[in-house]
Order: sequence, then structure tokens, then C-alpha cells
Amino acid sequence: MSIKASTDIESPDTEKTRAKVFRYLLLGVGAFVFIFPFYYMIVGSLQANPDTSIAGAFPHPDNLTLSNYTDINNEIDLWGSLLNSGIFTGGVLICTLTFGVLTGYALAQLQFRGKGVVFGLMLLVQMVPFHLLLIPLYVLIARDYGLGDSYLGIILPFAINSTAVFIFRQYFLQVPASLFEAARIDGASEVRILWQVALPLVRPAMLTATLLTFIGPWNEFLWPFLITKEQSMQPLAVSLANFISNAAATTSNPFGAILAGACILAAPAIILFIFFQRHFISTNIGSSVKG
Amino acid sequence: MKRTQGFIRAQAIAGAALASVLAVGLAGCGSSGSSTGADALTAKGDIKIWLSNNKAEVAWGKQLVDSWNKDHPDEQVSAQEIPAGKSSEEVITSAITAGNAPCLVLNTAPAAVPQFQKAGGLVDLTAFPDGEKYITDRTGDQAEQFRSADGKFYQMPWKSNPVVIYYNKDMFAKAGLDPENPPLETQDEFLAAGEKLVASGASQYAIFPSPGSEFYQSFFDFLPIFATNSSGKMIVEDGKATFADKAGIATAEFWKKIYDKKLAGTEVYVGDAFADGKSAMAISGPWAIAAYGDKVNWGTVPVPVQKTGDKSYTFSDAKNIGMYTSCKNQGTAWDFLKYATSEEQDGTFLTETGQMPIRSNLDTVYSDYFAANPEYLSFAEQAGRAVDIPSVPGAVEILQVLRDAYLKSVINGSESIDKAFSDAATKVDTLAKG
Amino acid sequence: MATDLKPQRSSARTGVVSKILGRHPLGLVFVTPYVIFVCGVLAIPLVYSVWISFHDFIFTAPGANVPPAPFVGLDNYVTVLTDPQVQRSFLNIGIFLIINVPLTVVLSLVIANALNKVVRMKTFFRVSYYVPYVTASVAVVSVWLFLFREGGLITSIMGSFAPEPSFLSNPLLAMPTVALYVTWKQLGLFILLYLAALQAIPKELYESASLDGANSWQSFRAVTIPGVRPATVLVTLLSTITGANLFTEPYLLTGGGGPDGASTSPVFLMYRIGIEQSKPDVGAALGVILVICVFIIALVQRRFVGGKDS
Repeated sequence: MSIKASTDIESPDTEKTRAKVFRYLLLGVGAFVFIFPFYYMIVGSLQANPDTSIAGAFPHPDNLTLSNYTDINNEIDLWGSLLNSGIFTGGVLICTLTFGVLTGYALAQLQFRGKGVVFGLMLLVQMVPFHLLLIPLYVLIARDYGLGDSYLGIILPFAINSTAVFIFRQYFLQVPASLFEAARIDGASEVRILWQVALPLVRPAMLTATLLTFIGPWNEFLWPFLITKEQSMQPLAVSLANFISNAAATTSNPFGAILAGACILAAPAIILFIFFQRHFISTNIGSSVKG
Repeated sequence: MKRTQGFIRAQAIAGAALASVLAVGLAGCGSSGSSTGADALTAKGDIKIWLSNNKAEVAWGKQLVDSWNKDHPDEQVSAQEIPAGKSSEEVITSAITAGNAPCLVLNTAPAAVPQFQKAGGLVDLTAFPDGEKYITDRTGDQAEQFRSADGKFYQMPWKSNPVVIYYNKDMFAKAGLDPENPPLETQDEFLAAGEKLVASGASQYAIFPSPGSEFYQSFFDFLPIFATNSSGKMIVEDGKATFADKAGIATAEFWKKIYDKKLAGTEVYVGDAFADGKSAMAISGPWAIAAYGDKVNWGTVPVPVQKTGDKSYTFSDAKNIGMYTSCKNQGTAWDFLKYATSEEQDGTFLTETGQMPIRSNLDTVYSDYFAANPEYLSFAEQAGRAVDIPSVPGAVEILQVLRDAYLKSVINGSESIDKAFSDAATKVDTLAKG
Repeated sequence: MATDLKPQRSSARTGVVSKILGRHPLGLVFVTPYVIFVCGVLAIPLVYSVWISFHDFIFTAPGANVPPAPFVGLDNYVTVLTDPQVQRSFLNIGIFLIINVPLTVVLSLVIANALNKVVRMKTFFRVSYYVPYVTASVAVVSVWLFLFREGGLITSIMGSFAPEPSFLSNPLLAMPTVALYVTWKQLGLFILLYLAALQAIPKELYESASLDGANSWQSFRAVTIPGVRPATVLVTLLSTITGANLFTEPYLLTGGGGPDGASTSPVFLMYRIGIEQSKPDVGAALGVILVICVFIIALVQRRFVGGKDS
């Protein structure tokens, strides 16, 4: 041990370079493992005939086609499904950004009775996996409220993302309370303080919360799968999953069609994310670690 | 530790919150009051119906509704395709629960009828004065399979999709088998042909039924062969499971040989293995004719029997017509139901969709049609010897138990057939009691 | 002058109110929508779930002449717990957690640590690790199906070493494959959490460690691991919750529960029993059991893994 330690001290530079090379090697191999399936998804979606051999991992000009995209569009009405996904996600975003900001601000900067209860509830919601309550939720929403096959029924259980509320609260906590006190002394109403003082200060939080909230409903499968029976109401994740599990003989290359659908489903989230990736960095979300 | 305490506190608080909403939750459960009664049975007026979402059936349904609406200006029928969900049963269950089911669903699976009935969703058709007589007259002996445990009919037996063996003529020729008279009469011949198909390289698999765990997959592997081996028994008779008897074990052993010899794939295939040329045979109903069309040069033969001369039975995959309690004008619905199942409409249905109306003497009543379309004759012959799922409570669960036992012993071989099937039979006996 | 008086008067008026409602009663208004939402999607369903699980509850037509659901005590719980499929699904989640949790913790910590130190191509690496996390499971599952099925790319590469039957239809490999998939899919989030924790470790700690002659492995053990302990708690907790929530992956990847139910998950069975077989009472009982399990695991994990941090 001591010998090893001493050699390390003698040649710190070689150790450093070795560690550096190792680090890049590790990250490179890892990145390949993480990216490759997406590359394969695109290649597969463009193949006229599915080629599962090793050569099939490289696009071959004779075997390229866009017909998988038209096939999947004939099977599941891509645009309608995308629109449904958009309405679902948009509804959740609007609710989260409106009511989540209000709640986060109140929890961070206002003193009122029952604040502890609300905070406790917020932690609790993040603890209980939503899917475990799907039976009572299904009975309540489909039967008692009669909201099966409606946008409201799809959106309702996701309406306010509690993690986003948490992020808002963390951001508002970082703003010194004296700033708000000053505004209050000037006679500004709480709504105006929130709108004109608080919101501009937490704009980065809005972006982070939007990204985080977006991937929830956009990618959700189980709930819309249960609550929508009409094909015309199904988000893309559901119609694609239904196509995967009952892929009929009607398309010439079902795998290509599935992968084409997968590309369309994956693209908006990935593009949005790459575009705004700077806002999806550790320090923002890290705040919730320290909770 | 502070966080743990905070967590416990949060729970206590949430508990208090729960207590206060308890009353709300309970209030939602006690729905009561009955809207169905003798009045609804005779009421006339507009009605809504659902059709299956199969193209040919929708076209037939359109002409049916049009011709009815012409003569009945005050009792208009509007038809729409059944909303496409995972399965029609699930869609209908949720429609019953939500109270917006249509008057008639021309796609009601017999296996699901007991459950719909228990939910209070179906109208007893024998409550109509001519109900019992109309059903038994049209359907003949096969009607008895669809009678519920209380002796009533909650479904109008309507049409069947008797499944048969489709085979790929080109592949048979390539393997040196006679494509016009394939040696598929007995199960031994079937196995021998299968081995030849695979060994000769004509096809990767002899046959490729889905090895998936969904309860309905048995319709296309175990049930048709079992129907033949047992000369037409249902899987539950007189409240007892029948599939663990000699016929059932023989069926399982037949399929096990197929899997042992690697004549069938064990991984769920995405797409249709027969249409994609991965397998040389398939078990399907007449609806598949449209799908295979000219993609494959196919022929059909009946389900193989145990020994030459035995009669071939099959699984009927029937779809019936159910009348739902949410219907206000049940008098019109009943008249329309009779119109839709008249000899004339049944004939149109047969010609347009190739599916078999469940009525006695099918091949003699529509002899012209079968003379013109000989490829459908094998289906008609089998339609007379087709067995369905019994209308017992928990039919879906019973099918699931059977499927699980089959997967375990036949496809994966992790348990002996005898044990898996007798365990499943014991379980089904208790389930069938109710 | 008037402006001087105004706040005084209003604060005198709010004096009484603030005693009862707090200094900013408006806060109550602000949080009301959220509280209603939480009651609607969490509290009421939780209570309703317990109620359903103690009754012989069926889906009924509104207004149908069906007797009200009778109280059946623990019957539904007995049905659930004696069902071999349910037992199998709990075993499956056990297998899942044994593979998924350690793998997630080790891989995400190692990658986050490496990512924290590199300068070049940092954005590229970061993005590649997060991409699976932000993508819909339905979309990536289809690629995995393509890769891991019989005759797929992975089995082609493995050649004669490929398992027989193939990954997804092999009773021994179905659940590990699902666990591997979920680890891969979720790793990005956990790398993110560890990166945050790593950046919060004071630089001085590393400096003093290297002054004491520690090599990088030693300082990793002595400084990094204890430093990211709160993150480790969160990561283990979140991956456990993911396990309890598992549905899409076994449903799509292994065709509805895999061979012999070798990859069924409790949530999948909840769907199958509660909705497909129309026994919501039994499904609800399974849900209640799972909620209790998640609470117990959360408490235990906080006590053991998180013992030191607070």
C-alpha cells in the first residue's frame, strides 16, 4: 500500500493522464451504448426490409425507403395522435405552470396556517406511485365523473406536477424575502408582486419545470391507455403501443412501421431537450436532492 | 432524523385529510335506482348500435341500417364502429360502467356475457314474448351453448368464425408435399408434414400460433384441437372443467411435440408469421381470407383429427348480439335485432363478409353461395361443428388459468402437462361455481 | 400622509385575520387549487381504494338493478396473496430491484464522477446519457424488441453464445432483461442527481485528502461516497418506486408478462385482474398492499442508508 502510494506521488502526471484516458474511454463506451439504440431506431425506420444482421446496422442505399412512415400513418393516424399528445401535454403544462407557481410561491414566501400540511402533501404525492391508484382513479374518473374518452379525463391525474411545484418552491426560497417585503410596503398586491417581482426572477425555473413536466405526459402510456378507448382520442404513445401489440398483416414491414412511429414519438421530446439542455443541468434539479 | 419525522408527520396530516374526504368517497359509491322495466321493453323510437370495426362487416352494417331506416321513419337506427381499444370486451365494460352503451352491440363475445350480465348491463332477451322461440328457431341446437346459468338468453347467437388450418401451397410444393391434397387429415400426418416443411427448408416454422399470455390466444392453438379430440366439448360443462381429461391431455401433448421439434416459434412475433412467409400453416377464421388474400397462395383444411375417420370439430370464435340496459327503446331494438338476423340479412352477411351466421343447415339454406365460393365450404361444414366458450361467470379468468397452464407445460416445459392441467382444472372448478 | 395611514389601517384589520389564518391569508387561496388536486388524485382514490378492497365490488351499469357491494372483510386480500401469479410478480420485483438498484447506483455515480471531471465534449456526453430518460418508453421499447428478439442484432452478434430461448422469451432472462432496460432508460436522471451532489462537495475536502497522500480511488472512497450520501438515498428510493410502478416494460417488451409470468409486475397484474378480468376489488387490494410496501421500504431506506446525513 505504502509503496503504491509513493509511486503515485512520484509520477502524478502519468497517473493523471492514465485516469484521463480511462475517463474518456469509459464515457465514450457509455455514450455509444446510450446512443446506439436511437441510431438503430432511425436506420430501422428507413429500411424497406428489416435486416437484423450486423450489416443491417449500416444503412444500405438499396434498402432505403420512407414507406414505413406512410405505412404507420395509414395504420394509426399519426397527426391525430400527435395532436392528442400535444393537447394532453399542453393541458398539463398550463395547469402546472399556473397553479404550480402559485403554490411554490406561497410555500416559499408567504406565512399562512396549514402551510406545513400542504408541504407534507407535496412530499407525499411524490412518494406514492400514481399507478398504484389506477383502479380507484379509473372507477372515479370513468364512472363517477363520466370522463372516459375525454381530454379532461386524460389530463386530470397529471394536472399539477408536484416535482415542478417543488422546484418553484426551491427557487422562490432563494429570492431574499426582503425584496418582497419592500414591494408590500410600497402597497403592491400579492398578485402583482408575484407577477412583476417574483416571476421574472425565477424564469430559469420555468424552463426547467417545463422540460421536466413535458416528458411526463408526453411519454405516459398506462393512464391514457386505460381511459381512452376511442382511437381518435388516443395519444401517440398509446396508439403506437396498440399497434405494437396487435401489429396486423396489413403492413409489409411491421417492424419498420413501428420504428417509424417510435421516431415520431421520440423526436419532439429529444429535440426540445437538446435545444434547452443547458437548462436541464444538475444545479437546477439538484435543489430537490437537498430538499 | 428530522426528515423521517417530517415524513411521519406528513403521513399523519394526510391521514386527517383522508378522513375528512372519506364521506365524499363513499357518497360516490352508492348509486341506485332502476330505469329498466317493462316499459322499456315495448318502447319504440330511435336507437344506436355498434358494429365490429372489420371493413366488410361495416359495409354490411351500412346497407342493413339504410334498408331498415327507409321503412321505419320513426325508428331510426344510427350505427357506428365499436371504438377501437385493446379489446372489444374492455370497451364494452367501460361503456356499461359509464352508462353510455348503445342499444345493440353486434360484436358481443360470449365469454364476456356473464360478466356484462352480472354488471346489470344486458337485457334478458327471453323477456320479449317471442324471445325464446325466435332464438331457438333460428339457431337450432347450437343455441344451448349460449344459454346462461339462469336458463335465459342474454345474447342473440349471431355468427361464428370457425377456425381452420390455412396452409401455404407454394411451401408445401417446395417441401414435396401435395399442395392440392395436403396430408393433414390426422394429427400424426400434421406433425410429419410439419417436420418435412422445416427439414426441407421450405419454411422456418411449420406453424406459428402466438405464444403470448393473453387469455384469447388459446382460441388459435389449444381450443380447436381440443374441440376435435373431445368431439365437441366445451372447456367447462356442468360447472366442471373438462380440459384435463384424456382429450385435453392429448391436445397438450400434440402441441408439445410441435414445440419440442421446434416446428413453432416460442417468441411473440410482431406481424403475421403466415402472411410474412415465416410459417407454412396458420390457424385462423374466415376473416383472415381478406388479410391473406393474394399475399399468400393458400388453401384450407379442417382441424386435424386423432385417427382417420374421426369427425373434425373446431373452435367457433362466435360473436353475438347483446342488448344493453342503457337502451331506452328496447322494443325497436328487438325488432331491429330480428330484422338483422333474418334469413335474407344473414345471406347478405355471408356473401359480404364470408363469416358464418349461426343458424341450422347453413350449407343447404345458402347452397347457391357455397356452390359459387367453394373455398368457404370448409368453414360452413365446420360451422356446424363449432364449439365456443361457455357462458359461465369468470370466463375470461378461466381462459387465463388455462392459458397459464398451457404456457407453463406446453411451451416452456417447466411443469409436466398432467400436473399443470389437473391443477388448472381444480382452480377452474372453483371459479366456475361462481 | 394618506399613504402612511393606509398600510397601518390594513395591518390593524388583518391582525385578527392573521391570528387565525397566518400573516398572508392570500397564501391559502394560492395553494387551494393544488390542495384540491392532491385530494382528487391522491387522497380520495387512496381512501376509495381501501373501501373497494374490503367489498365485493364490480363494475356496474349506472342505475342497474344490482345489489350494493357487500362487505367481505379481508377476502380480496386473501385472494391476492394466495394467487401464485401475484407471488411470482413480487418475486419478479425482487429480482428487478436486486439487479436494478445496485447497478443504477454504481453506474450513475461512476459516470457522474467521470463527467464531473472532463472538460471536452462534456455537453455531448451529458446529452447522450439523458436522451433515453427523456424519450417515451413505448418508443425505445420497440428498438429493444428489435435488438433483443430472436435473430435480432444482439443475438446475431453473440452468435452461438446467444441464449436459447432468446432473452425475452427465456424464463430466466426475461426479468433481468427488463431490469437492464430500465437501468439504461433511467440512468440519465440519476447521473443528473449525482452531478448535483458532486458539485456540492467542497473542493477543500479533496485538497486536504490529496495533501494526506490519498490517490484518486482513496479520495473517491473517503470524500466522494460520503459526500453524495443524500443523493444515494434519493436514488435508491426513486429506483425502488420505479420498480413498484413497472408496467409498460413487461407489457410491451415481453409480450404481456413474459414466459410463465417470468416478467409480470404487480401493476401489470393490477391491470389484468382489475380491468381485463373485471375484478376491481381484487386489483384495488393489490394496489393497497403495494402502497403499504412502498411506505415501508421508503422508511427503512431512510433509516439505514440515510442514517448519517441529517
